[in-house]
Amino acid sequence: MGSQPLKSAMVEILEIPEVRARVSKLSLEEYHQLGEFNENGRRTELIRGIVIEKMSKSPLHSSISTRLQKAFAALLGANWDVRKDEPLTLVDSEPEPDIAIVPALDYSAAHPSTAPLVVEVAVTSVLLDRANCELYAEAGVEEYWIVIGGKRAVEVYRKPSSGKYSEKQIYQIGETITSIGIPGMALPVASIFAAP
Amino acid sequence: MIEILEIPEVRARVSKLSVKEYHQLGEFNENGRRTELIRGIVIEKTSKSPLHYSIAMHLQEQLQVRLKGDWKIRFEGPLTFADSEPEPDIAVVPAGNYTHGHPKSAALIVEVAVSSVSLDRANCGLYAEAGVGEYWIVLAKQQMVEVYTGSSEGSFAEKQTYACGETILCASLPGLALPVSSIFEIT
Repeated sequence: MGSQPLKSAMVEILEIPEVRARVSKLSLEEYHQLGEFNENGRRTELIRGIVIEKMSKSPLHSSISTRLQKAFAALLGANWDVRKDEPLTLVDSEPEPDIAIVPALDYSAAHPSTAPLVVEVAVTSVLLDRANCELYAEAGVEEYWIVIGGKRAVEVYRKPSSGKYSEKQIYQIGETITSIGIPGMALPVASIFAAP
Repeated sequence: MIEILEIPEVRARVSKLSVKEYHQLGEFNENGRRTELIRGIVIEKTSKSPLHYSIAMHLQEQLQVRLKGDWKIRFEGPLTFADSEPEPDIAVVPAGNYTHGHPKSAALIVEVAVSSVSLDRANCGLYAEAGVGEYWIVLAKQQMVEVYTGSSEGSFAEKQTYACGETILCASLPGLALPVSSIFEIT
């Protein structure tokens, strides 16, 4: 028998691997019951049944996504909607990508369940955006762009099949992305970033 | 495995559910699993091994014969805390009517640990914050009991480990003395 004084340690339970394996996933129905803001007033997304908080956007992040939105709106006609930070309702997820381009239809009763083109802007970290390749490929998103803010480059994923993209191409300043998700649309990488 | 939770920054962004939101979800999750709320995270209860269940049941019987009618022994019953709703193996609470709200604290909480003790140990903070008088973690394989006492400001001041041959004198349930061997001598 030994007695010992205890150090108080705040343990984050998600740091325990077996707890992570036991996290209960929320269904879309359950997620929709929760309301737009969580208890801390934070906006959320549902990714693979896990409710995660949206991050505050850096000025670089916001300026890139605003430029993209304007560029797409200028290139595309009235047949397309350029949605910024709006939900897509997938099977087990409800992400809110920086940009989703969808056919201009009535979405007042349900969010789109796929998109020909989804764009995420990555400034601090690209890990979740890359993990979400599967999410978008499963949903049949034709083309997925990850704009790497710090590197002034764009990762373009194409040809979704069986939950994966079979093609990945990296575009740099000086190159032009010719979209296959939105046929006929071409965007010079330089137009995404402010001049250095 | 939920792969996105393997990304540290995603873990930091997991949105915590309030107890109120948790209660909206219903008793079973979508996969028919029973859940608990720990620090705002909904986690699934693990299936119990025969050893786990036998020890918990036997210990409940041992406590039952030793405690008077002033106490109620709850078996896998929920406790409602500020940000959590755990369902420990055993909770000893003052006898009373809990039909309109689960107890918010307990004189004694017991968790039986067979495969892993990590979460049970992490839950020390949870129980200490709730003012639980004494927290026992029964280590099934080692046949030992970790006893945490003296909760104040979210942590227990003292931890003592008892082995077979020793007797636990419960500070929060005066008069309760339980030989460690009686926990593991299951007939």
